Amino acid sequence: MIRFNLNGRWIESSEIDPNCTILKYLRTNLKQVDVKEGCAAGDCGACTLMLGEMTEHGIEYRTINSCIALMAQVHNRYLLTPSGIGRPGNLHPAQQAMIDTHGSQCGFCTPGFIMSMANLYQNACINETQALTDAEIHAALSGNLCRCTGYRPIIDAAKQMAELPRVDVRDISARSGVQAFDPAAADTAEALQEKDGHRLFMPYTEAQLQALLKAYPDARLWAGGTDIGLEVTQRFSQFDTIICVNRIPELAQCLAAGQDMGDQLWLGAGVTFSQAETALADSFPSFAQLLHRIGSRQIRNMGTLGGNIANASPIGDTPPVFLALAATLEIDGIQGRREVPLKDFYLGYKQTVMQPGEYLRAIRISPLGAGESLTTYKISKRYDDDISAVMFALYLNVQDGLITEARLACGGMAATPLLAAKTNAALTGKPFTLETFTAAAACIEQDYQPLSDVRASDRYRLQVTRNLLTKAFIELSQKGEAA
Amino acid sequence: MSFTSSKVTPWEQRRQRPAKGKSGKELAHESAEKHVLGTAVYIDDMPEVDGTLHAVVGKSTIPCGEITRLDLSGVWASPGVVDVITVKDIPGDIDISPAFTGDLILADGRVEFIGQALFAVVAETFDQAKRAVNAAVVEYKEEEAILDVKEALKRDSFVNPTHTMTEGDVEAALQSAPLSVSGEMYVRGQEQFYLETQISYALPGEDGSVKVFSSTQHPSEVQKLVAEVLDVPVNYVQVEVRRMGGGFGGKETQAAQWSALAAVFATRLNRPVKMRLDRQDDMVLTGKRHDFLNRFKIGFNEEGVILGADIELASFCGYSADLSDAITDRAMFHVDNAYNLHDCRVIGHRCRTNTVSNTAFRGFGGPQGMILAECMLDDIARAVGKDPLDVRKLNYYQEGEHTHYGQPIEDYYLPELIATLEKNCDYRQRRADIAEFNKTSQWKKRGLALTPVRFGISFTTTFLNQAGALIHIYTDGSIHLNHGGTEMGQGLYTKVAQVVANEFAVDIDMVRVSATTTDKVPNTSATAASSGSDLNGKAAQNACITLKKRLVDFAVDYFKVSADDVRFENNHIVVTGSDGKEDWVSFAEFVNLAYVNRVSLSTTGFYKTPDIHYDPKAERGKPFLYYAFGATCAEVEIDTLTGEYKILRADILHDVGQSLNPAIDIGQVEGAFVQGTGWLTSEELLWDDRGRLASASAATYKIPTSVDIPQVFNVELFNRPAAADTIYHSKAVGEPPLMHGIAVFCALRDAVASVADYKVSPQLDTPATPERILNAVMACQGTAE
Ligand SMILES: Cc1cc2nc3c(=O)[nH]c(=O)nc-3n(C[C@H](O)[C@H](O)[C@H](O)COP(=O)(O)OP(=O)(O)OC[C@H]3O[C@@H](n4cnc5c(N)ncnc54)[C@H](O)[C@@H]3O)c2cc1C
Ligand code: FES
Ligand code: FES
Repeated sequence: MIRFNLNGRWIESSEIDPNCTILKYLRTNLKQVDVKEGCAAGDCGACTLMLGEMTEHGIEYRTINSCIALMAQVHNRYLLTPSGIGRPGNLHPAQQAMIDTHGSQCGFCTPGFIMSMANLYQNACINETQALTDAEIHAALSGNLCRCTGYRPIIDAAKQMAELPRVDVRDISARSGVQAFDPAAADTAEALQEKDGHRLFMPYTEAQLQALLKAYPDARLWAGGTDIGLEVTQRFSQFDTIICVNRIPELAQCLAAGQDMGDQLWLGAGVTFSQAETALADSFPSFAQLLHRIGSRQIRNMGTLGGNIANASPIGDTPPVFLALAATLEIDGIQGRREVPLKDFYLGYKQTVMQPGEYLRAIRISPLGAGESLTTYKISKRYDDDISAVMFALYLNVQDGLITEARLACGGMAATPLLAAKTNAALTGKPFTLETFTAAAACIEQDYQPLSDVRASDRYRLQVTRNLLTKAFIELSQKGEAA
Repeated sequence: MSFTSSKVTPWEQRRQRPAKGKSGKELAHESAEKHVLGTAVYIDDMPEVDGTLHAVVGKSTIPCGEITRLDLSGVWASPGVVDVITVKDIPGDIDISPAFTGDLILADGRVEFIGQALFAVVAETFDQAKRAVNAAVVEYKEEEAILDVKEALKRDSFVNPTHTMTEGDVEAALQSAPLSVSGEMYVRGQEQFYLETQISYALPGEDGSVKVFSSTQHPSEVQKLVAEVLDVPVNYVQVEVRRMGGGFGGKETQAAQWSALAAVFATRLNRPVKMRLDRQDDMVLTGKRHDFLNRFKIGFNEEGVILGADIELASFCGYSADLSDAITDRAMFHVDNAYNLHDCRVIGHRCRTNTVSNTAFRGFGGPQGMILAECMLDDIARAVGKDPLDVRKLNYYQEGEHTHYGQPIEDYYLPELIATLEKNCDYRQRRADIAEFNKTSQWKKRGLALTPVRFGISFTTTFLNQAGALIHIYTDGSIHLNHGGTEMGQGLYTKVAQVVANEFAVDIDMVRVSATTTDKVPNTSATAASSGSDLNGKAAQNACITLKKRLVDFAVDYFKVSADDVRFENNHIVVTGSDGKEDWVSFAEFVNLAYVNRVSLSTTGFYKTPDIHYDPKAERGKPFLYYAFGATCAEVEIDTLTGEYKILRADILHDVGQSLNPAIDIGQVEGAFVQGTGWLTSEELLWDDRGRLASASAATYKIPTSVDIPQVFNVELFNRPAAADTIYHSKAVGEPPLMHGIAVFCALRDAVASVADYKVSPQLDTPATPERILNAVMACQGTAE
């Protein structure tokens, strides 16, 4: 049975197919049509909703793409839609500002924008007096496409809403009371949803997950759903058995070096991109900058590091970075826990060493010391919310002007994310000079034989990767970091 | 005893001030509040009638050939399936072409492109229908396909005959010209990417009639085609559209197929049928902006003055004519943009290819022609070593000259507009600063361009320039407005309502706009060619004039005054008596008085654009009532190592005549600029070597997001009343500003040219993706492999 709060009203149903998305359920079953479908693939943001979760600080909200999220993802949570946060004559500040700046034309994208803006307002304005920065606004809007307005009035609306009288949407969610929920009381061996031969399980601890994997080793694991969700909404597949791995607090932890994990940073597989953006901002600024360009705010609120690695796509953005950082994976499951260096994890296109009944538990990386640096570049046609043509990640250790260790790894250049073995060898042991980088760039073609596809040609991929080595050298020298 | 709605402001208050929301004022979109609440109803949001079924089509997987086997038994057997049809089940005409022939509702024995609709299925749910189509077994005898423009040209494969416009003696002019450049430029198409995908909802009626809700820019055409497909008279079909979630031309002709299929099922089964294309189907099944292969040779003197031009355009039409003929013509009409090409020849081929039939998209061929003009001007500037703006200035049309299709140049204040922008945006100083920046910056380079827009307004098929409106005034003074134009976000309903409020001098809240429907205003033209408010605004105004005359006549009779003594002001009718005393009667009271005195308070209005003509055989005439003008200065920065770039600044000055609603007009200008910029930068429409659309989803086809807009973005309207007798001397605004995006493209090319010290004019096709920019940079550096 799924139980959730929609605009302040609690709704329960045991009739929902586990494969049913939030968008579909709202529009088709509840006739809640103020949330729109523009693509059903997480790309346009028309379906954006605010998803609230009870925390020790009260309900906390984030935006999600309801088109690719399952109903299970709102279980015991709070959803807000545009018609829930305002009424005619009594609009939410985001809504009022949008009218004042003429921010809607055809209006089809507008409900999604309103949700992104209202979420920003809720998180950044209600207790603050400082104006929103352009960066905050762009990040909040990064997953919302508008084909009509050209965005200027929408950005203006986001700036103006902060000046309107405060509205706290938690009051709306709590209208009919908040309901306590104790995960410990849940019988997770039972399916949370079961319909037409499809089942969904929701473990709240690793032990429960392991028990379920034992019982259903062939179940599909569902983390953020930002990859797997597309199989449901684009290919119209239906899974028989789904295990949600997105409610297990142990897997959502980021533990800094020194916090029981020895000298390594421990990132749970269930850490979302948004969480990682914050967690890595100081220790790996270049990584955090990259995270900022993965998908959109909505995607980053849902998608996880574990999903990015386990999905084994050649164009996932974080695997090259983790390869450059020589990450170690912790894998657990019916065969017990094991550790696998990421470089040994990928066997081929969309293939990994993981066996049925196993799951990815965590990723471990070492912090950067003196002389160590990480440089990342993402090359794509569009700056925000695009898949990389080339993902470039370079780790360097330069001591006294000498490169003692070099690990370049790229995405989009081979059937899997891949270290550039020859290039790395050409860099290692050489002085940190432009000549070294130019010479190493000549090895790129031996390391990679990329494909031509809709995102870029093979020639461009090779050329730009070579040039990025030069660019990395220039920028590192300018920063004086590795000099 | 009478009840007055609380929504109606008391008349006494209304008397104290001018009427609100009249024409010329900033006013929010009529649906703005519903937009932000999500309560504006799009067709998929309408409450579904019980028993509604959902239709999906099965698509071909080869680009060209004969269908040798179409086994649909598996489709029939799929869960939830209620009915399956092929072309044989169409009761009437299977051809749904808007102007010519060959656009088919379902494939008829042959397949002409990958993704062509072969059959259609309805099921209880959308998902069931989507799954069912995969169970079809189709076999083909494949034939060789023509997949691109070059191949089509080689094989003389055209959907319509080639047109040629000539002016003077081009051969002689080019021969005697001291200098010349020639080149070739491939301009890619563009996916409309309206946020609301195509959708129709058909409700069966009595006697085989049907009511179709269709997300279409052209309800009358949908009505006619549905009737033909069903084999019923046109009056058996009603088509209604309240609003679209964007159209951009993509719903001009190409909504008909889905409406017709829904109507066929609805009448066959006597059940309501919804046909919604999901994004992946919409992208594959519907036409886009045409790619163009543009070739040119242009002759000029040492100063950079154009002496003659030989231009050949070839459009990528897809498998059928659709609107390609008029689109290619419009490209030909716009290859001159602001400049006199003097002796010239403009050839336009309409290439037939085994791809989806391309269709209207904001600009309608104009942008693909205009970009050639601007790139040619840049080439000339680099050849003679001058600032591109100075070369542009030398070549502006002069008052009294005429275009290569014979239209006289009148009211040509574009040069003045450009000069204003040049000054306001500090062009010269920034040019100098950029030259300095480029000298010192090794990897990052900046580019600048100031390019004009001159876009012809009117349907070039003259008879389409007509429109109708219907106005009722009710006894409480509230006004019901209907017209043939459709609302797709452009604010047409708002503007026409403002015209009506203006005519009667009443507050805008007295005017209620209503869904466009074929049984209120018949035989309408598409809401296209930017003509929406020009045509429908005038038609509504004409209806108002008729009603006002009736009301004034009545007042003259009733109050025993002359017509000059009656005026409409501040929501009142003001009657000046012979003693000079003014009698203020509220609009409501007055119309009620007219009603009880048996004055008809309902009328239609009609408008046809005067003074336009075009002879398609001679390729000469005056196809446009007037031109809309504008200019943009754009500044960009490129990274010469990766080809990535940013738009640092754009300044736009745009001419909408005397604006009907400045807020809406600015919105149109900004939105069009960003859309035009997307077309030329990140939006890359690609087909693979089999003819399959490779950029077939939002994951692979990238329209701009909020960070892609210029970091500094200044947009202003050039407020000069239009000389032509347009509605309140405003000018059309839908399409023209799309071409402001060309400035960004020219600025990118300028930045690339800086790498070779502006000595070469870089070869750059569109869109200017990072890959193309990097290639162009390397070509300029002479380091390309
Ligand atoms: C609009 C959009 C934009 C995107 N942009 C980017 C981008 O810029 N860069 C990028 O890299 N990716 C992008 N993605 C892809 C996607 O967001 C990422 O790959 C994300 O990391 C997937 O994580 P998830 O938690 O959503 O995984 P899910 O979709 O839940 O799962 C993905 C796969 O991993 C498996 N899996 C998940 N968790 C585990 C686990 N703990 N153990 C074992 N297996 C597991 C699942 O079974 C499934 O096979 C985008 C996707 C969308 C829809
Ligand atoms: S519908 Fe487009 S992101 Fe969900
Ligand atoms: S207003 Fe039409 S898509 Fe944004």
